[in-house]
Amino acid sequence: MVIIIPNFIFSILVMQKKDIYTLVGLIILTIITALFATTFNSMKYVSIIILTLSIVKFVLVAFQFMELKKAHSFWKAIMIIYLAIFLIVIGVVV
Amino acid sequence: METEKIDNKNIYYPPGGILMWILILLELITFGIALIVLAMSSKENPVAFLESSSHLNATYGAVNTVFLLTSGFFMATTVHQFKKKDFKKASFYLNITMFGGVLFLILKSLEYYEKIEHGFVLGYDTFFNFYWLLTGFHVIHVLVGLIILLFMKRSLTKKTAMLEDVEASAAFWHMCDLIWLLLFPILYLVF
Repeated sequence: MVIIIPNFIFSILVMQKKDIYTLVGLIILTIITALFATTFNSMKYVSIIILTLSIVKFVLVAFQFMELKKAHSFWKAIMIIYLAIFLIVIGVVV
Repeated sequence: METEKIDNKNIYYPPGGILMWILILLELITFGIALIVLAMSSKENPVAFLESSSHLNATYGAVNTVFLLTSGFFMATTVHQFKKKDFKKASFYLNITMFGGVLFLILKSLEYYEKIEHGFVLGYDTFFNFYWLLTGFHVIHVLVGLIILLFMKRSLTKKTAMLEDVEASAAFWHMCDLIWLLLFPILYLVF
């Protein structure tokens, strides 16, 4: 166990720096979003800010973890269009 | 095991396969429409929605988000290790991925138990109807994802796994993250 754990951490650190940065960014954004929502829930544009931060997280997962960045531009475009439509419609309704 | 690289720049071969991406888009559109209808319904009775949503525990939602995101990270690591033909590590990271999914389900069960105990069941009001249906369907996706990952684990152990299958399973698992990233802010934080 003593040998396995450092080896396991080391191999992740060496090979996947970008994925680690993405995970840390995603966790920070989740904490910020939750704190922001509970602290400033009476502000006028708080919903839009929360949704925008969530869309940023969505893009990070799709492009980094799902490797959409390596896909044909059609798939990237369709995902961005979906998110834009979703954000606009939800923003208008909320 | 088959680990040959696929040309993901080809429009017909996105990571995970074209059929999986069609499924992902359809799922996202379905959940997206449901969330838009939820937001529209909230305009009919904003006070009731605000009151009902205040019964949800945002901390549970945030912790579950971290569980799924971390699980997604280890899923991505599994795929990287598989491509590097290190099947032992791929199998190890796949275990951690599944553990993240199980933690999500345990916390979700605890949340469901609290809601049922306080009487906030399906049919209580419009908000909780949406809550149960949306989170319930998402939980079904996570369960299906875990079953897919179990089969993947089996084929990794038997050394019969192929890259297309590993990437497709990973794409399905990440889809659960994506759906949750839409559900969490709207159900737990916006109202």
